[in-house]
Amino acid sequence: MEPRQAPLKELWSHLREAPRRFKESAFRSGPPVTDRARSEFVFNNLFLHIHPVRVHRWSLRWRTTWGLGVAVTAAFLLTLITGVLLMLYYKPYPDVAYQSIKDIHYVVPTGRFIRNIHRWAANLMVVTVFLHMARVFYTGAYRYPREFNWLVGLGLLVLTLGLSFTGYLLPWDQLAYWAITIGANIAQSPRELTDALGITPYFDPGGWMKTLLLGGPEVGDESLIRFYVLHVAVLPLALVILMGVHFWRIRKDGGLARPEDADALLGPPRDLYPVFTDVPTKTYHLAAIVRGRSPAVNRGPENTIPSMPHLFYAECAVFMLTVFLTVLAAIFWNAPLKEIANPAVPENPAKAPWYFLGVQELVSHSAFMGGAGIPLIVIIGLGLIPFLDRETEGTGRWFGGPGGQRLVLVSAVFGLLSVIAIEAFAIQFGWLRQWFPDIPQLIITFVNPGTLLVVVYAIFSLGIVHRYRSARAGAVALFTCFLCGFVVLTIIGVHFRGPNWGFYWSPADWPKH
Amino acid sequence: METKNKHLLLWSSLGVVVVLLAAALEENVLRQWRRLQAEVAASDGPFSTGIRQIVGTTTATIDRCTTCHVGMDPAERLTGLHRLARPHPPVPHDLGEFGCTVCHGGQGRATESADAHGDVPFWSEPMIPLRFVEAGCGTCHTQVGVPTLERLAQGQAVLERSDCLSCHRLDGRGGTIRPAGVGGMEGPDLSVIGRRGFAPEWYEVHRQRARENKDPVWRDCIPDLSPDERQLLEEYLQTSVGTPSVVAGQALFHSLGCRGCHKVSGVGGTEGPDLTSIGLRDPARLDFTNVPGPHTLASWLSAHTRDPARIVPGSKMPKFFLSDEQVESLTYYLLSLRRDPSNKRAEPIDRTLVERMQRREFATDGETLFAAFCSSCHGPQGEGRRFPGQPPAPAVGNPDFLAVADNAFLLATIRDGRPGRRMPSFSDAEVGLHPEEINSVVEYLRRRSGVAPPQPLHSERRWVLADPTRGQALFERWCAGCHGKDGSGPEAPALNHPNLLKTASDDFLVETIRRGRRGTNMEGFALPSLNHPVLPDQEIEAIVAYIRTWETAK
Amino acid sequence: MKDDHTTVLARLAPEPVPRRDFLGLSALGAFVGALFLAFLGIIRLPRVVVSASPSRKFRVKLPESLQPGEPFVPPGRNVVLFRDSEGVYAISLVCTHLGCIVKPSPNGFECPCHGSRFAPDGHVIGGPAPKPLPWLAVSLEGNEVWVDGNVTVQPGTKARG
Repeated sequence: MEPRQAPLKELWSHLREAPRRFKESAFRSGPPVTDRARSEFVFNNLFLHIHPVRVHRWSLRWRTTWGLGVAVTAAFLLTLITGVLLMLYYKPYPDVAYQSIKDIHYVVPTGRFIRNIHRWAANLMVVTVFLHMARVFYTGAYRYPREFNWLVGLGLLVLTLGLSFTGYLLPWDQLAYWAITIGANIAQSPRELTDALGITPYFDPGGWMKTLLLGGPEVGDESLIRFYVLHVAVLPLALVILMGVHFWRIRKDGGLARPEDADALLGPPRDLYPVFTDVPTKTYHLAAIVRGRSPAVNRGPENTIPSMPHLFYAECAVFMLTVFLTVLAAIFWNAPLKEIANPAVPENPAKAPWYFLGVQELVSHSAFMGGAGIPLIVIIGLGLIPFLDRETEGTGRWFGGPGGQRLVLVSAVFGLLSVIAIEAFAIQFGWLRQWFPDIPQLIITFVNPGTLLVVVYAIFSLGIVHRYRSARAGAVALFTCFLCGFVVLTIIGVHFRGPNWGFYWSPADWPKH
Repeated sequence: METKNKHLLLWSSLGVVVVLLAAALEENVLRQWRRLQAEVAASDGPFSTGIRQIVGTTTATIDRCTTCHVGMDPAERLTGLHRLARPHPPVPHDLGEFGCTVCHGGQGRATESADAHGDVPFWSEPMIPLRFVEAGCGTCHTQVGVPTLERLAQGQAVLERSDCLSCHRLDGRGGTIRPAGVGGMEGPDLSVIGRRGFAPEWYEVHRQRARENKDPVWRDCIPDLSPDERQLLEEYLQTSVGTPSVVAGQALFHSLGCRGCHKVSGVGGTEGPDLTSIGLRDPARLDFTNVPGPHTLASWLSAHTRDPARIVPGSKMPKFFLSDEQVESLTYYLLSLRRDPSNKRAEPIDRTLVERMQRREFATDGETLFAAFCSSCHGPQGEGRRFPGQPPAPAVGNPDFLAVADNAFLLATIRDGRPGRRMPSFSDAEVGLHPEEINSVVEYLRRRSGVAPPQPLHSERRWVLADPTRGQALFERWCAGCHGKDGSGPEAPALNHPNLLKTASDDFLVETIRRGRRGTNMEGFALPSLNHPVLPDQEIEAIVAYIRTWETAK
Repeated sequence: MKDDHTTVLARLAPEPVPRRDFLGLSALGAFVGALFLAFLGIIRLPRVVVSASPSRKFRVKLPESLQPGEPFVPPGRNVVLFRDSEGVYAISLVCTHLGCIVKPSPNGFECPCHGSRFAPDGHVIGGPAPKPLPWLAVSLEGNEVWVDGNVTVQPGTKARG
């Protein structure tokens, strides 16, 4: 028992120690220079502890993931921060919205730069989301036990497109107004089928969806405020929640997918020392060790390295690369802004946002199949992949599984040729209604270039399934075809379609007036 | 691999730092308006730097033009050495309430000069070129009761002859003598007297002052004016609203008969497009293939006015072979037609009078109406006109025509027009003239030609009884060459038109054929000629009987 | 057993990373620097550069019949103007307590919010207002009266034509 100091003196010395004690109360583990401290750095931190304390070396290879998941998150964070900043000045009412964007561009400090960052980060997010999905697919990382995470990812894809679409209307310029008019009409496309069946007065999901989206029969005040609420509150919240599930699931699924022989492929670690060499079955959680089965199995701790700093270097590097590309684009290229929205003067051609132009191209052949049928088939198809492909060969490796790289190449060529051939035919010769003017709409709905393409791809993929005796091979073929088709249709929609959706080799050929 | 990540982090972050610094530099140092404000401050003295804007209370606009055009800020008093430090010339409107773009066009919210002047894509209302600056008044205003250019000039001549400008200012001229003595009162400025209005008894008041006032200046101030001269002068003063160039262009517009094919503010023909908002056309949507000069609305309108078919292939508008001054004057007026109907700006009284109270933008005397609506097709003297590739317009001022056409026929023809042909219906159905205005035109035609309406030669309007078969043979021999085998022209007026047949009496038809119309291709078939024998009356009546068969046919 | 335990413990906390990591540190430094610069840019955005309200320096047309001591409030402005034999002067109508708009009354001005009362020359005669109503700069240019709401002057300053 040491003698206590006089009470006032004690009080004074406590006050003097307060800053240091404050720091220690906030940062309870020491500097992350020992393995234990590094583990605590991650594990004890609310924001960081969704990361594993140790991460497998295979997961950190560039060629495993190309950092695409982090890039998507980085792009999202950029849009989130710049979006909140823009909300200080943006006013979601027709005409005033346009003027507020002009003010942001011309007058608000750093306004032009921040708006540009927002636009380019949003575009980058859509691109990287597709690339990320392709990576996960081609490395077979959707397989057991990761099926549900694949579905969550699909949900994130839809939400990302939804965020981009709702944001597209907000500037209220000619581009925005007519793009959303097109988009809402695409949402109404089930009407083509219900009209052909004559049931629209009783069952009109198309009209219902369009009215719900627009708050009225056409784009107007109500639409703008709905899109605004969706864009700044509802969809971001949903996205963040699903992102949370997505990241949580990565942990519970045992980290990123890797091949069974990953350890052998990696070889011995060069400059890192192994941990727990004498207790290889020991996991590295700093929690109590209990006997039993957890979702994280089949992992030895050998080829793992501390997340702090190695994983964080990788994540920060990808993050800053994304930021760099975005700000570079933002300082040179302005986000587009055309004339103020004028309901009396349609844009011709009126084009949906670029990621929907493939859909718009299909819609130009059949509203229902292009707008509802095929997207639904694609989403359901993508969702079924983990349940149809229950093989295990090649998980974690690029183009793993029967067929390998060669199958991908062959499928790509087939996919490209089919879509180009079918589109070229339709562009050059027209379609059924040109030769049979009285043909019922229902036939066109089911026999059009879009459905033809889907059928061709499906037959090809089933053929591959048969030839390689593997569902995975078929999935690879179908996915590759789908990617090629999507890219080509989008390119056609972006570059080769002009006024009245006519085909032109270049925008210079468009007729004036 | 770890090193790779560190390098990537390092260089990406440095890249981001560089870009952020560049952005900061661009915004805080390199902005165009900062440079320009520094220049102005260097020569004209200090003022608070920063973005300036005028919040137009009347116009609900925000204009940032004063960021660079510092001198024009109503709250600044700069010396005016630098070109951007010069103040705004005096205008009737308060800059603080109106802003800049309502009169000048352009993009008020921009802070870069090219953007602000509107010379960028996706801005549909670039600035009006300064030489057409008065056209900006047309954003809200219109001019009421503008006569033809000739009458306007006559009114102006009365003003000059009467030496009004010795006491009154008008558009920057005149106004030096002070009748009450040195430093005393000058007469009111007449530049906007049309807007402010003047007492109807102004002339009597001036004469009374002249009688009562011993001052020689007052005594001789105003000469005797005949009623006509007074009317011309008052007509001229009523158009004095501060936009003399627009009024001159409008008067020219009313002299060339443009409203016969084009509507402005709801009155006019429908052969050509409505010109009410032509000054708001987006230059980006125009075809400049054959238009010389910069791609502006002004150059397009000038080129089109000069030679329409060259600029708009397939245009029905004929080429009028106007002089350069006339083209410039018309362009000025057309640029002033820039009222946006959906705009909820405050409405000046002239606009209310025209749009809601049936006042006319043109003077409603017969001479002006004829010039404004008819002269483009029928010629300034009603002598008829023929444009290449189009059927001729009849010589309605021709004395031989007026000698056989009665007023009922003239009124009905103007009122109902010739549907299916180029003569529109001038009543409310199409062009929008009132019955009394159509009356004025007919009276003008009578007055000008001096030809009184004909006395009917027969008691009935339809008295011809003859053999149409014989008439058909005669028609095809002597008439069909110009009037067409079925009477539909197109080399000559359509005789088979139901409106013609309904309103024309047999007297009209017979006498026209008998006497012809001097100066036109219509010969008098009862008169000797080298081209045809003299047709006896029975044969002429037979022709008329044949013509009448078209009335019931089909 | 004890030996195993200490060995395990020793394994858990071995010596820290040996060499100085220049590359890593500079990368981290650049990273933090970039984020800091971004933060500086972000906090600049909410700063108001121009405000969408009419200018506080404005022109007034006084009615010809304005009597000395009769208040004239230009429409839409929180300023009162007076004209007497000494000139034209303007007093702000914004109560110095908490910003409500005072009303001219026979004895000066009264504030409806908390009952502050001011004399005709603006000084406080009652209520919680801490300071008198400020007098604003008035200038006469030709026959135009200009009021500058940004500049306060000594009470008693009147602009003479």
